[in-house]
Amino acid sequence: MNVAVMKTKAEQAISEGFEAVAEALPGGAGVRTARKAALGRFGALGLPHRRIEEWKYTDLKSALKDVARPAVGDATPVTIADVIVALGPFARLELPRLVLVNGGYRKDLSNLDGVEGYEVKPLAAALAEAPDTVGEGLAEVAGQDQDAVIALNTAFMTDGALVRLKSGVVVQRPLLVVHIRAGKEPCSAAIRNIVHVADKAHARLIELYVSVPGSTAEGQVNVLTEIILDAGAELDHVKCASDTGRSTHLASLVLEMAADAVYRGFQMTEGVGLGRNQGFVTFKGEGGKLDLSGVLLGRGSEHVDTTLVIDHVAGACESRELFKGVLDGEARGVFQGKVIVRPDAQKTDGKQMAQALMLSEAAEFDSKPELEIHADDVVCGHGSTSAELDEDLLFYFRSRGIPKDEARALMIESFVGEAIDHVEDESVREALMSVARGWVAPGRG
Amino acid sequence: MLEIRNLHARIVDEDKPILKGIDLVVPKGEVHAIMGPNGSGKSTLAYVLAGREDYEVTQGDILWNGESILGMEPDERAAKGVFLAFQYPMEIPGVAGLTFLRTAANAVRKKRGQAELTTPEFMKVVKDKAAKLDIDIEMLKRPVNVGFSGGEKKRSEILQMAMLEPSLCVLDETDSGLDIDALRIVSEGVNALRGPDRAMLVITHYQRLLNHIVPDRVHVLAQGRIHKSGGKELAIELEQSGYAEFGAKAA
Repeated sequence: MNVAVMKTKAEQAISEGFEAVAEALPGGAGVRTARKAALGRFGALGLPHRRIEEWKYTDLKSALKDVARPAVGDATPVTIADVIVALGPFARLELPRLVLVNGGYRKDLSNLDGVEGYEVKPLAAALAEAPDTVGEGLAEVAGQDQDAVIALNTAFMTDGALVRLKSGVVVQRPLLVVHIRAGKEPCSAAIRNIVHVADKAHARLIELYVSVPGSTAEGQVNVLTEIILDAGAELDHVKCASDTGRSTHLASLVLEMAADAVYRGFQMTEGVGLGRNQGFVTFKGEGGKLDLSGVLLGRGSEHVDTTLVIDHVAGACESRELFKGVLDGEARGVFQGKVIVRPDAQKTDGKQMAQALMLSEAAEFDSKPELEIHADDVVCGHGSTSAELDEDLLFYFRSRGIPKDEARALMIESFVGEAIDHVEDESVREALMSVARGWVAPGRG
Repeated sequence: MLEIRNLHARIVDEDKPILKGIDLVVPKGEVHAIMGPNGSGKSTLAYVLAGREDYEVTQGDILWNGESILGMEPDERAAKGVFLAFQYPMEIPGVAGLTFLRTAANAVRKKRGQAELTTPEFMKVVKDKAAKLDIDIEMLKRPVNVGFSGGEKKRSEILQMAMLEPSLCVLDETDSGLDIDALRIVSEGVNALRGPDRAMLVITHYQRLLNHIVPDRVHVLAQGRIHKSGGKELAIELEQSGYAEFGAKAA
């Protein structure tokens, strides 16, 4: 059988797109080799489809009809005022920021003056300075060589943030890494972020994926954030995609945790046509703690998928996952949570919960927990619920004079608020609530 | 003045009538008690007054200050001054008590044409009213009623009532689940709201509550109708004789 003839139009466009831009992509010979190898892997894998278990509910092969041109050397005019508008409620936090537009770092829009404790560098600049030393780290993404979306990221990545915290450095203010879609022409951007928190350091990072109002609603963002937490390191990490309802957002998180590392993560996705957040977490040393929560908001024909694989290789680690979806119209939400407990990972404590609030009969929520346990002294649990708005509770609100729309909004906010409450920083929590409020009732945010 | 005229009601989509012709008048400034056995329709009457959608009025009318409220949504009724203190107050995870109180108070103020309370104004009022009900302000920073004891939930209901300044208070089995101390605090809170411009309907199974909230009139509700009305001494009579004469089986 000739596999090549089975390529879809989108897969064909991706291969041709690579040929067209390969020379302009950053990096030395080593990186170029890695890119070609990754494209080769993608060619063999193709776009993921529903017969691949990890993509059971999100068939990219049939969903992606067209793929916009790869973004390379983009120069779309964007002003600081545009950035402030795009940041929405996060603008109020006045945080140091690294800004990327259509896949490329923009010094004029970034503000890294107030950065203390972090070493921050745009990926492309780092590749230009030391193409091979940086490149080595990019070639292999730990254990993820069978994921087509990650392979595409390696092949096409143009820029991103390299963030490093030295041993023992503790920061209070989060660093903002913002990717902004802009311009009338749709494009496909590929961002690679690499975060390394050395032992006993404590970092705070917020990733935002937004767009300038009035720019094309089409387009694709493929982001891969690799995080390494050394022994006893801590990271508070918020990722929020808030767009205009038609674009494709493919995000991968690869997280490695050494002994006693602590990760508190929160992911919010709203306003994307097709969204996939996949996370691969590996506990490599004992005593690690992970608290990963998130909110998926979908309406119209939007499709929002969260797929997590938590691999307990070392024992005595704790993982907590709480994801909440609110689905209206014909939107579809997906939560797949896999917890693997390896034979030596005794005393593992893993729990996950997925809850959906269904605002319409045509909406759909697919939840699939998977426990793969090879050790005998562990505590693992999972749960999933899917419900409509509680009519009794709605009456309670209304009997107190609160009109129906406002009562509904408050109920939805309280539902997602339970997940947002996992974010430690009050001002960040407030910004996330504001994004959620804006989704529930445009104008309230 | 509350006027209930020949009120018939049932649960939506069920044939069985629950209220079968209630006639009742509660003038402003008075407190009336509705007593009755289980299943007599007491809670149905409370819900129908507040406008719960699961109940359907098949005949009759409810007038508040001369105006029919049957066509009004629950929130419109609240703006008109109707307040129902729930027998089982709901828990609202994720919504802080203060947020809930402020949203509710300002929603009714807005509809009544009053200026909304600013944050300092609201805090002053709420602190004052909460203190009288022995409610710690810290408790109001927590989600509404979540993890509260029975007594705390009922005090939280009375605080909501005080904040919304209703003119018609309907208290559904407010004494259920209360120990003696909680009953005293809740009753004092209710008594503090008695006034010439406010009518109250106190629904209860037991006479106990009426030692604390002394009614002007007592009505016996059984099998969906008012069977007997009288002064506060009727409650004491009922405590001794039970509801047997109104067709209720002894529990």
